[in-house]
Amino acid sequence: MIRYDCLELLVQRMSDQLVITSQSGQRIEWANLSNHEGNLLVGMMGCALGVGMGLAVALPHRKVIVLDSDGSILLSLFNLPTLGNLQPGNLVVFVFDNGVYSGSRISYPTATSGNTDLESMAKAAGIKNAVTLTKLDDFRTKGLGALDRHELAFIVCKVEESLVHRQIDRPTLDLAENKYRFVRYLERTEGRPIPFIGRG
Amino acid sequence: MKEELAKGIVDSLKDAGIDFLTYLPESRLSQILPLMQRDPDIAVVPVASEAEGVTIAAGAVLGGKQAACYLESSGLYVASYSLLTIGRQLGVPVLLVVGFLGGFGDQRNSFLYATVGQRTMPLLEGLGIPYVVIETGDQLPAKVKDAVRTMNALRSPVALLFAGEYTV
Repeated sequence: MIRYDCLELLVQRMSDQLVITSQSGQRIEWANLSNHEGNLLVGMMGCALGVGMGLAVALPHRKVIVLDSDGSILLSLFNLPTLGNLQPGNLVVFVFDNGVYSGSRISYPTATSGNTDLESMAKAAGIKNAVTLTKLDDFRTKGLGALDRHELAFIVCKVEESLVHRQIDRPTLDLAENKYRFVRYLERTEGRPIPFIGRG
Repeated sequence: MKEELAKGIVDSLKDAGIDFLTYLPESRLSQILPLMQRDPDIAVVPVASEAEGVTIAAGAVLGGKQAACYLESSGLYVASYSLLTIGRQLGVPVLLVVGFLGGFGDQRNSFLYATVGQRTMPLLEGLGIPYVVIETGDQLPAKVKDAVRTMNALRSPVALLFAGEYTV
């Protein structure tokens, strides 16, 4: 299973969910598959899950999906106990664990290519519904099935390293442009202003 | 810290529109926590690192809340990556409510805090984060409102460094 195949299945399930991506491959591939206004392409490693948690707590009636990576989770392991105690039922976290730091040029092993198991770590942190999926059929049924339940899910997708994200165009959406498009979408769909925007 | 000072912080935050708080507690200002936790109008989220205190607060702000992060000044070093990337680069306003350990005004300063404290303001300046040092409760509601207005206008974190009588 590769990440892009999973994302191709996921994009077919999108309607009004909010999708937060970390750096790097999942950001590029998701932007290639979806130009939805509810996407927030967080371009920093280790920050997407925190932003997703805050959104999930602030908007408990909206489904929030975080597309993360082993590298980013390993960089922000403190998120796991916080998530295990918060238990936001509207949050689904997909961790695409390819076992490598795979940016635009490099490919170096992460701890998960050694002895580290993110599902076990998540469970030990209090995230009961943590699973590892290795087959695309399981992603289709168990992975996407999490979108239909009101329960925190932490789904580790063990994927082969692929180079799709190096072969497709990188998104041109600027960080600030993406942020404003995202909050305007929320203002429209929530029917109320986002306070920090204010008036000029 | 006298009880009325703790109540003054909480009342000022609420008056300024703060309705979401992340925290990693420290000793100087921790009396605000039970007051915040008892308040049904404020969502209070404990965190394991100041770095996620910032990202979680930022997510809440994008979702329509006005958020503050309560932390010790040493936590600004831990949070600096989140403050720079999510706070400054993405441009998300969060109010940093900081127990300012180790500064001139820290009434309990010691060799444990001074080295970190003396570099707190240069750190914030390096990050491009405006700050105000608050040593007394005089005009606190106005100062907090000023900070919230500034952070929203700048789309940036802003810090309130509590020292002086807040550290007794």
